[in-house]
Amino acid sequence: MNDNFEPLIIGFCCNWCAYSGADLAGVSRLQYPTSLRIIRVMCSGMVHPNLVIDALQKGVDGVLVGG
Amino acid sequence: MQQPKTNGKKVGAALIVGGGIGGMAAALDLAACGIKVYLADSKPSIGGVMAQLDKTFPTNDCAM
Amino acid sequence: MKNEFEVGLSDRKAVYILFPQSIPNKATIDKREERPCKAACMYACPINTNVLGYVKLIAQGKYKEAYQMNRDINPLPSACGRVCYAPCEKNCNRGQLEDPIAIRELKMFVADQVNIDELPIPQITKTGKKVAVIGAGPGGLAAANDLALKGHDVTIFEAQPEAGGMLRYAIPEYRLPKKILEQEINYIKRLGVEIKTGVEVGKDIALANIRKDCQAIFIGVGAPGGMKLEGEGADQPGVTDGIKFLQAVNLGRKVEIGKKVAVVGGGNTAIDCARTVKRLGAEEVRLVYRRTRAEMPAAAEEIEAMEKEGIKTDYLTLPKRFFSKNGTLSEMECIKMQLGEPDASGRRRPVPIAGSEFKVSVDTVIAALGQVTQVEFLKEMGVNLAKNGTVPIDPNTGVTNIEGIFAGGDVVTGAAYVIDAISAGKKAAISIDRYLKGDPIEVLREDKKPEKLDEKEVAVLKQRFPSENRVHMKELPVAERVTNFKEVALGFSPEQAVKEAIRCLAGQIEGCIECEECKRRCEALAVDYTQKEEKVEINVGSIILSPGYQVYDATGKPEFGYGRFPNVIGALEFERILSASGPFGGHVVRPSDHKEPKRIAFIQCIGSRDHERDYCSSFCCMFATKEAIIAKEHLGKDLQCDIFFMDMRAFSKGFDEYYERAKQLGINYIRSRPASIEEVPGSRNLTVKYLIEDDKKASREYDMVILSIGTQPPKEADRIAKIFGIELNEHHFCKTSPFHPVESKRSGIYLAGAFTQPKDIPETVMEASGAASKVLSLLKEARGSLIVKEDFPEERNVLGEEPRVGVFVCNCGSNIAGFVNVPEIAEYAKTLPNVVYVGNNLYTCSNDTQDNIKEKIKEHNLNRVVVSACTPRTHEPLFRNTVRKAGLNPYLFEMANIRDQCSWVHMNEREKGTQKAKDLVRMAVAKARLLEPLEMMTVPVNKAALVIGSGLSGMTSALELADQGFEVYLVEKEKELGGYLKQIHYLIDGTKTNNELKSLAARVKENKNIHLFTQAKIEKVDGFIGNFKTKITMNGTSKEFEHGTVIVATGSKEYKPKEYLYGADERVLTQLELEQKLAQGGGLAKGVKNVVMIQCVGSRDEERPYCSRLCCNEAVKNALKIKELSPETNVYVLYRDVRTYGFKESYYTQARQKGIVFIRYEKDQKPEVVKTKNGLKVNVFDQTLGIPVTMNSDLVVLSAGVVPNEDNKTIGQYLKVPLNKDGFFLEAHMKLRPIDFATDGVFLAGMAHFPKAVEESIAQSQAASSRAATVLSKDSIELEGIISKVVDANCDGCAFCIDPCPYRGITLIEYMSKDAIKKTVEVNEVLCKGCGTCMATCPKKGIFVGGFKLEQISAQVNAALGVEA
Repeated sequence: MNDNFEPLIIGFCCNWCAYSGADLAGVSRLQYPTSLRIIRVMCSGMVHPNLVIDALQKGVDGVLVGG
Repeated sequence: MQQPKTNGKKVGAALIVGGGIGGMAAALDLAACGIKVYLADSKPSIGGVMAQLDKTFPTNDCAM
Repeated sequence: MKNEFEVGLSDRKAVYILFPQSIPNKATIDKREERPCKAACMYACPINTNVLGYVKLIAQGKYKEAYQMNRDINPLPSACGRVCYAPCEKNCNRGQLEDPIAIRELKMFVADQVNIDELPIPQITKTGKKVAVIGAGPGGLAAANDLALKGHDVTIFEAQPEAGGMLRYAIPEYRLPKKILEQEINYIKRLGVEIKTGVEVGKDIALANIRKDCQAIFIGVGAPGGMKLEGEGADQPGVTDGIKFLQAVNLGRKVEIGKKVAVVGGGNTAIDCARTVKRLGAEEVRLVYRRTRAEMPAAAEEIEAMEKEGIKTDYLTLPKRFFSKNGTLSEMECIKMQLGEPDASGRRRPVPIAGSEFKVSVDTVIAALGQVTQVEFLKEMGVNLAKNGTVPIDPNTGVTNIEGIFAGGDVVTGAAYVIDAISAGKKAAISIDRYLKGDPIEVLREDKKPEKLDEKEVAVLKQRFPSENRVHMKELPVAERVTNFKEVALGFSPEQAVKEAIRCLAGQIEGCIECEECKRRCEALAVDYTQKEEKVEINVGSIILSPGYQVYDATGKPEFGYGRFPNVIGALEFERILSASGPFGGHVVRPSDHKEPKRIAFIQCIGSRDHERDYCSSFCCMFATKEAIIAKEHLGKDLQCDIFFMDMRAFSKGFDEYYERAKQLGINYIRSRPASIEEVPGSRNLTVKYLIEDDKKASREYDMVILSIGTQPPKEADRIAKIFGIELNEHHFCKTSPFHPVESKRSGIYLAGAFTQPKDIPETVMEASGAASKVLSLLKEARGSLIVKEDFPEERNVLGEEPRVGVFVCNCGSNIAGFVNVPEIAEYAKTLPNVVYVGNNLYTCSNDTQDNIKEKIKEHNLNRVVVSACTPRTHEPLFRNTVRKAGLNPYLFEMANIRDQCSWVHMNEREKGTQKAKDLVRMAVAKARLLEPLEMMTVPVNKAALVIGSGLSGMTSALELADQGFEVYLVEKEKELGGYLKQIHYLIDGTKTNNELKSLAARVKENKNIHLFTQAKIEKVDGFIGNFKTKITMNGTSKEFEHGTVIVATGSKEYKPKEYLYGADERVLTQLELEQKLAQGGGLAKGVKNVVMIQCVGSRDEERPYCSRLCCNEAVKNALKIKELSPETNVYVLYRDVRTYGFKESYYTQARQKGIVFIRYEKDQKPEVVKTKNGLKVNVFDQTLGIPVTMNSDLVVLSAGVVPNEDNKTIGQYLKVPLNKDGFFLEAHMKLRPIDFATDGVFLAGMAHFPKAVEESIAQSQAASSRAATVLSKDSIELEGIISKVVDANCDGCAFCIDPCPYRGITLIEYMSKDAIKKTVEVNEVLCKGCGTCMATCPKKGIFVGGFKLEQISAQVNAALGVEA
């Protein structure tokens, strides 16, 4: 694998915890790679398995469900 | 003590001194019930001591 | 300044935001006193250099920051640190007391501390606009620098072979080394400025050609021509021009000078010439000046330096004629002058003295009389020129008569100072930037003049600040310097610089010194130093005091080393260390060396439970336990955590289990009160010295010690008491009484929280809502009189319309725009499908932007709005409100979080961050296109409440609600009112309860708003918030009523013991039975000599692992009562931990003083009660003495625990609210919502929640009423639109979704459809919270959450991946 490989990751984040955690990372100026795309959900419970599979099929390198 | 000029009518407002968890909780209840609230705190932010806490017992929930 | 939020573990600035999530999230400027000086330095500087700011930074040793502060204002700080004429120093207010601050030397010092070549280049967003600057002198360089930072492409045209102008060609190397100047010019080049040297405009290139290429031109060509010397023979070769001479020297050309040289003139250039000539080896150098030394325009220090270097001076002397011998200059004839009347310049005019002519032998004369401009080339463009050859401009803007051409510096003013040219360049740069943007150029500038201190002020300051001599910078010795061009100034050492910087008067105060740096940087222009403390008068109907508490000052116990040993800290400090947003970023390290501790000790009861503070702080035991658990989570299970304690006071819900868990995690509890802490020299470790239970001395070493510092009343308590006219108790906490826990002694003023007694969060929240309830009763008729309701226009129907998306991209000042390319993002947004409008705002959340958004919605007929800014968690409600006000459904709105989740977390990756921000905008637009309006259902509210249970809590809740004006259905299963309280006769403070109970019951019965049903059973409760319907039965008849809320106050009971011969021997009683005897049975029977009380009967065991909270207090209360009635009776209390929390501690102290004996036993060595011929015998192993003890006992009293009401389960089912595993009702959140259930509209009060004391039950009951009132005071409730919706056509009734629903909001229904049974599910919109678990479980797309449909989320995924659906 290429050493410079940066995986594109989709994060489904619960509004009440993981998404607010991501906000706190910002407020605290914690730096992390730019390759995460967070999608806000009202609860990680609403993340239908198809959403995850779909994303993987369409070429995302990883899916993170945070809740 | 100086008397407010309210023509004997009750004033639909309350002053809360201290914006910690107690002051905030009281303010929310009063505002939800139609009372105008003046919430005063000596610090530039509300939150009081609880804002300084990392976690709370016994659930270890985040205090923020 | 110490950061108080981090309990002093870190420092903060005078301008600060208390903590990242502060509300309001705004900066505060902490100004403690007026600045002692007038900051005249800053106002005297033509570019208002922030002198006080950078001098303060130097005083703090922050040299880089000091340089940066300089560089941000002045592009040539190194040069100015050497050659500036320093008007700052001349005006320095300390200079009115004694020597001024050596400001210029300090500037030079910081400039020498940084390697300019390594300074980072800021991110610059290019505008694509081109600007030409003519002349690379200080003015041109300054203009170019500022314009380049604004993103413009700048080219400088310079006629000379090198850039620098007069700085390079007129100032000699020994004053300003070329290398330093070059570094500063190189930095400007690194900003993207191109410098074309050796190009003379008007000769090598025409100004008109430049004009064709560039949108704006700055003329900064200076005044490089020397004024001619007048007089006979002045045109011969030996007489030269000073500027030309210096230029030649600085260019490194060979310069012919004679042995005897005269320099004519009195300015800096003349002196530069004279000193240069000296260095070139002339034998005799003289300076000839027509006025006196006092009138010389040259800087005093330059004159001094010249004199030191042995240069002769002829003052009041004017050369008149020059004679030559053999074709070379040989003599000059001068005439003596005298000073006459002042001339136009204010200086006295020199007048020749007739007949005073004399001759001087010279072979070279250098004329340094002043400079003139050379601006022929400007004529071609029609630029106006003054008679003296200068360019007239508007001094505030640099505008010339030709549009797009600006000018500044010596070309405008004639020869002047470097800093004036820089100032002119900077002013012109602002104008040029505005001109290029199309903004009006005229700007009002606030030019504050430097002010002097008056005499009185000087006198006061002299008293306050002792005299301190100015630090003098070292210079190269005269002998070493006159033979070469080495820099004369040697600069400050860091020690000297700091010493000198500390002299600055402004820097001597704590807090803001009004250096104005923040004001200068604030793009929103929000800083206003003129703001003063204001007195505001407000009219209120009631007051709640909740000022909290402060921690004890642990330096008062010096034996523990707090404040002396860095690794001894308080529990609150440790809390900050544990916090991810704390001073060490969540890295758990000790303060002395920032190393991870391996052994931590916690010491309890520091400033609590001692002689002066005979109360318990109530929460420290659990606080320490929690911190130990979290510390282990951070540092691993090998971390040693020892907690030194006296009694483990885990008396609230779930606390004992938590304590047990902590023990299982390996946290070691040592029952001992340590005597002292000593620091181990060298390692800064700490030795804790303590006694173990059999009084042996022991000690242990730790890396860090946490003191559980107790609570004290707030420091303002006495003042608050005085202002509000309320009473305090002996500890200076606010005084209350058990039956009035939230009431002060003054009517209308209520109380909440630790102000009345040390307490934990849930009790505080209960009291807060309780106090609110009292206010609501008091002000019931005024409710709603002072608040304004928002009105919204009718909603526009957008169904069927093609999406028209408006995107608003926010700069958030520099929070976003500083790290990602906002214009690029905005441009990109324009290319996205269905986007018809893109706006870019400085602050999208500002009020005027809300109006702008509304306008744009109307103007562009937008039907979807995307704001690309911060987080929806804080700002979505605001923007939804805005779009709603513009007539759109609020759910047609989406946010792209490009701040918290982009610009702030990718601060060093501008390109990639910009790319990500574009992606986030694309994702938001993709979702926005698919957004649909959502309906916010409103449900009407029935304004009555059901209260279940009529004990103390139920009655209190009912009365509170009735007093607030609401109807109450009070349902009691027993015949009598009163519940548990019926068995309580007196309280620990002596309060008789019977009268209180009677009066409560009477008030309940009399109150017209309360419908009381006794001996009634609840059959069922249907409905939801606002709309409940309950059926009850009484004596065979049933009744139904409707209500909007429910308060559960079902209470608890005393445990009926099975142990210790209870029931088998009548001499074994429970505490309640004893109390009955003591209160009403006339006391104990005669001959009862020994009473043994056994604690924790039916509590803290396997079956009921919780502490019953009341029993320790009850035992102490009854033991004291026995002693009161029969002092000779011996009372023994067998306990595990004495949990007399809060002020009850003092009764425990009293009990011991009265001779009541407390014997501690362990859970696995419980006491035994044995019946013998001579009576009862109690055997127990005394843990403190370590021996078995046997007591004869006439009476054994069991402190039986509290058990929940057995009906809780049924009632919980009716109301769809949960119980905990012990059978008590489970609140929505243990800390923050102790009165609420997760089910809306249902509330909890009293012992149904957990065992509690009278005052606690009352507070919680009042709180429940206040919480219920938040529902009942509304006519209708608007429900959240983001909830589940069923797609009937897709649903086949498989019912997969029903069980996972955490709110039990889905039911399976059947109906007839086309002669067949159709199964489908139905969502209760009121119960649904929109979590979407149903959506994720549905295999058929039969149910979805509004605003989060699968297609909408999919669209975001696709957009993120850049693929089509």
